[in-house]
Amino acid sequence: MVVLNQKVLEEINRIKSKYHDSRSCLLPALYIFQREYGWLSPEALEAVGEILNIPKATVKGVSTFYAMFSHKPTGRHLIQLCTNVACMLMGGERLLDVLREQYGLEPNITTPDNRFSLVIMECIGACDTAPAMLVDTDFHGNLTGEKVIDILEKYK
Amino acid sequence: MITITINEKKITLEKPVTILEAARSAGIHIPTLCHEDILEPYGGCRLCLVEVEKVPRLLSACTQYITEGMVVRTETERVIEARRAILEFLLINHPLDCSFCDKAGECDLQDLAMKYGPATGRFAEGKRKHPESYDDPLIVRNMERCVLCSKCVRMCEDVQGASALCITNRGSKSYVEPFSGGRYNCEYCGNCLTVCPVGAIMSGLHRHDYRSWLIEREVETVCSYCGVGCSLLLQIRGNSLIRTVPKIGRGLNRGLLCSKGRFGYDYISNSERLDTPLIRRNGELQPAAWSEAITHIARRLKEIKENHGSDAIAGIVSGRCTNEDAYVFQKFFRGAIGTNNIDSVASLAYGPAQRFFERIFGQGVTANDIHGISNSDGIFVIGGDPTGINPVLGLQVRSACKKGAPVVVMGYAEGLKRFSKHAFITNSTTETVLLASLVSEIKKKKSLPGERPVFEEIISGLQPVPLKDASEMSGFGLNDLVDTVDTLSNMINPSIIVGRDIVQTSTGHMSLLFLAALAYLLNGRIYLLSELPNEQGLLDMGCQPDMLPSGRPLTIETFRTRCEETLGIAIPSTPGLNYVEMIEAAHAGRIKALYVMGEDTVQGLPDRNYVSDALRNVEFLVVQDMFLTETAQYADVVLPSLSWAEKEGSYTNLERRVQLTKKAVEGEGIEEWKIISEMSKILGLDMGYRSVTDIFTEIVRISHIYREITYNDITSGRCMWPYKGGPLRHDVHIEGIELPDIVSVMKNADESGVQVRREAHLFHSQNASRYSPALQSISPEPYVKMSETLAGRLSLRDGEHVKVVTEAGSITLSVHRDPCLPENVVLIPPFEKGGIFEITKWKVNPVTKAPALDGNRVIIET
Ligand code: SF4
Ligand code: SF4
Ligand code: SF4
Ligand code: FES
Ligand code: FES
Repeated sequence: MVVLNQKVLEEINRIKSKYHDSRSCLLPALYIFQREYGWLSPEALEAVGEILNIPKATVKGVSTFYAMFSHKPTGRHLIQLCTNVACMLMGGERLLDVLREQYGLEPNITTPDNRFSLVIMECIGACDTAPAMLVDTDFHGNLTGEKVIDILEKYK
Repeated sequence: MITITINEKKITLEKPVTILEAARSAGIHIPTLCHEDILEPYGGCRLCLVEVEKVPRLLSACTQYITEGMVVRTETERVIEARRAILEFLLINHPLDCSFCDKAGECDLQDLAMKYGPATGRFAEGKRKHPESYDDPLIVRNMERCVLCSKCVRMCEDVQGASALCITNRGSKSYVEPFSGGRYNCEYCGNCLTVCPVGAIMSGLHRHDYRSWLIEREVETVCSYCGVGCSLLLQIRGNSLIRTVPKIGRGLNRGLLCSKGRFGYDYISNSERLDTPLIRRNGELQPAAWSEAITHIARRLKEIKENHGSDAIAGIVSGRCTNEDAYVFQKFFRGAIGTNNIDSVASLAYGPAQRFFERIFGQGVTANDIHGISNSDGIFVIGGDPTGINPVLGLQVRSACKKGAPVVVMGYAEGLKRFSKHAFITNSTTETVLLASLVSEIKKKKSLPGERPVFEEIISGLQPVPLKDASEMSGFGLNDLVDTVDTLSNMINPSIIVGRDIVQTSTGHMSLLFLAALAYLLNGRIYLLSELPNEQGLLDMGCQPDMLPSGRPLTIETFRTRCEETLGIAIPSTPGLNYVEMIEAAHAGRIKALYVMGEDTVQGLPDRNYVSDALRNVEFLVVQDMFLTETAQYADVVLPSLSWAEKEGSYTNLERRVQLTKKAVEGEGIEEWKIISEMSKILGLDMGYRSVTDIFTEIVRISHIYREITYNDITSGRCMWPYKGGPLRHDVHIEGIELPDIVSVMKNADESGVQVRREAHLFHSQNASRYSPALQSISPEPYVKMSETLAGRLSLRDGEHVKVVTEAGSITLSVHRDPCLPENVVLIPPFEKGGIFEITKWKVNPVTKAPALDGNRVIIET
C-alpha cells in the first residue's frame, strides 16, 4: 500500500476543485505521486484511481502512455535525454555514450548507487537548444559531453 | 430523405447515417475491424476506407456520415491498394500463427488478409514478442495477435462499465491488458471476447478443443442462470456442447452476456452428474431402474396419502424448472395427490414482492421492458445489486447513468459504486425508516395524481418521519438525505429496481408499502430482480399454495371450478403450505412426504441445520436433480434430471417475456414432465401428454394470461406481457393493508450488535454455479465484508481469516474491508461452502410470509 501523506491528498484535492471532471486532474495527480514517491507503483496507480474515482485500469492506460512517468523504481535523479530528430542531428546520441562511460547508464537503467536513472525521450520541446535533456524538472540545453558531466555533478 | 450513390447504386435513406450503415442497408459489404454496432464509431483501423467523389482523400466509412448527393465507391483500385497497405502494417507485428490459433476460421484478420492482404510482407525487422498469458483461469491473452482495434477496451468501459482493461504503453509497443497484467479480476462477462476480431483474447474453456468449422450445429436458446433470460447460441459438435456464445444484436441482451451465461455452461458436462435413479436401501442410496424408481415413488406416495391424508404430502419446485415441468408438477399435486401443498423458491422473496405490488397496482405492474431502464431519467435501486443478480439488467442501470440519469442506491451494490449519485448502505431497520422518511418528504413536493384514490388515502395516512430523525437514526448526513429527496423528486420517468433483501426482513412488508408509495409518487416503473431463470413462470404456472395457474386465487370459487372443469380434476379448496411452512411442518413431523424438483433446499434456505433436520424428519423424500446435492443426500429416491440444454420447454423472465429453451444435446435421463405423468398415471390421473407442446397448449387453454399464445409466437419473440394484448386483472385489493407504525419501529429498533446481510455474488448464484468449474475458479474463497472501522477495531487486514459466529453456527472466512459499509453491518455472499446460510436463522414475516433474516447478529472472532 502507498502510505498517503496528507500533503499529497490536499494538493490533489486542491487541483481537483479547479476542474469540473476529476478525469482532468489525472495527469497532475500522477505527477504529484511520481514526485513524492519517485515512481508509479501499481499501488500508486490504484490510489490515484481511488482518489479521483477513475477505474485503475484507465489510470494505468493513461500513465503508461506517457514516457515521463516511470513504472519502475527510479534513482534519486531522473535524467530524460532526448534523441529525437533535432537532438539526434545535434549529437544527442553521442551524449548517451558519455553517460554510459561516465556513469554506466543505459536507457531504462538505474545506477547501482541509486543516484541516476535514464530514460530516452521523444522531443522534450526544447529543439531550439538541441541537444537537450531534463534532470528531474530542470531543463538543460545546448549540451556537450563536458557540459553534461558538469551539470550532473551538481545532482548528488 | 437523403439520396446517395454507392457503387453506382442509388440509395435513399431517411436519416443521416454513416456510409457504412448506408452501404449495409443496401447489401453492400465494407470490411471493418474496429467497428461494432454496439460501440460508438471509432475510426481506428482504417480498413473501411472508401472513395468519395470530390473528396481527395479516402474516408473511413464507419465514421463518415452521408450527405445528399454523395457518390461513394467501396472497391476501387485505390481503396483496395489502401487496404492492402493497412493490412501489411497490421501484419508487421503479427506472429502469423493461424495454424494453431483457436480463432482461425472465424478471424476477421485472416479473412481480410486472404481477400486483400499481401501474400508476403516486406518488413525485415524483428516482430514484437509477447508471450501468451495463461495467468487467468478463464481468459487467455495473446498480445502478439492483437491488432489494437481497442474494441475490447471500449466494450469493457463503455458498455460493460467494468473498465477492467487498458491499452498499456504507446505506439507500436502498446498492448491490451487488465490492471494486474495477469489475472483479469474483472466481471468476467466475456463481452471483450465477443468483440475481439482476432485470436488475441479467447476463452480458456475450450482451448484447442475445436476449430470453428468443426461446429456442426448451433442452437439458439435462453440462458439458464437468472431471470433476465439472455439469448445464447449453443455450439455443438456430436453430442458435446463446445461453447456458448452470444450473437451481437440478438435477443433482449443484444449480444451481451454475463459471466454465468458466457462461462457457466460447463456444469452440464460435469462428471458428477447423476445418470441413474437411486433408491435408498438399507440406509444407502443404490442405483435402480427408472421404472422401478417411478413405481416405487408412486406406491409410497399412495400409501402415505392413504395413511396420513393428502396434506401430509408436499412439493417444491426450483426456479430452474421450465413452465411445462412446473405446470405438470402442480397439476400432479392438485389433481393426483389432492393437496395444494405446492410451492417454489419464488415464494422466498420474488413472489411476495410481486404479490404486494399487484395487490396495489394490479396484475402485471412489474412486467416492464428491461430496456426501459436505460431510457429512464433516474434510477432507484434497493435490496440487491442488479449488476450481481441480473447482470445484463444491471448494464442498463450503468447505461442510464452514462446518459446522465442519477442513480440512488439503498443497500449494498458493489457493481454500482462508481455509478451512483447517492448510496446508503442500510441495515434492515434503517432501510425501512429511510424509505418512510423519503416518502414523507417527497409527498410534500409532489402532488398525488389522483389515479388510485384508495391507495392515496393510505399514502396520506402514513406517519411523517422527518429527515432529521431518519438521519439521526441511520447516521446518514442530513444534507445527503435532503439532496436525495430533491434528486428523486426531479425524476420524471424513473425505474425502481427491487431486490430480495428488502423483502426478507421483519419490516419487509412496511418497506414494500413505502416503496409502492414511492413508485406511485414518482411515477416509477417497478422491476423485480429475479435470481433464477423461471421464478415468474413458476408463479404463472400456479406453483403456489393459494394460486392457480395465471395467478388466480384458489379461494375464488369461480376460478377454481372453471379450472376443475377444463382439466377434469378436483382441486382442493383450502390453500396449502408455502415453501418455508412446508419445511417447518416437516420439522414438526406433519409433512410425511416431500417431493423436491430441482431445488437444493439445504443450500437455498437460510438455516442449513434446521432444514437438514427437517429433511431427515420426512418419512419419504424424493429429490429430482442433476447432482447429488446436499438435499438429495437425505432423499429416499433420487431421480437424475436433464439439464436445460437437454430438453425443450419455456421460461418466463422477470419482464414476463416467454422464451423457449431448446434441446441441443442428448442427456441421460427423462424429462420431468414425463416422469410426473408416469407417476400420475399410476395414481389414477392420466394426463395424456405426448410432448411439451401438448402441455403448453393446455396451459394456454387454462391460463387467461397466456391466452392464445403458441410456441411459434414465442420463437418470433412476440411474447411480451401482456400477451396478445390482455386481458389483465385490474382489480386491486388494497383493503386490509395496514398502515405501518413506523414510529414504534424506530422506538423499538434493535440496533445492538452487528447485523449480517447477504451480498448477491456475481459468480456464486447458489444454483448451477456450484457445479460449474469455470465459475468456481474465478473467486473460490468465501469472505466476509466489513467496515474499515470494525476491521480496524479488531486489527484485521484484508485477506486475514476470522471466525464469524452466530447463534446458528460459525464459519471461517477471509476478511474484505470495505470503507463504504457502516459499522453495524457485515456482508457474506451465498457461497456454497462458507456461505451466509450456514450461520443464519429465519423468522417468517407475518404479512409477506417470506423468511426474515434480520434477527441474525454476528460476532467476529480473530
Ligand atoms: S470479461 Fe468483461 S469485465 Fe472482464 S475485461 Fe472482458 S469486458 Fe471487461
Ligand atoms: S485484444 Fe482484440 S479486441 Fe482488444 S484491441 Fe486487440 S484485437 Fe482489438
Ligand atoms: S444476465 Fe442472467 S440470463 Fe443473462 S447471461 Fe447473465 S445469468 Fe444468463
Ligand atoms: S527533438 Fe529533442 S527536444 Fe525536440
Ligand atoms: S472500421 Fe472504420 S476505421 Fe475501423
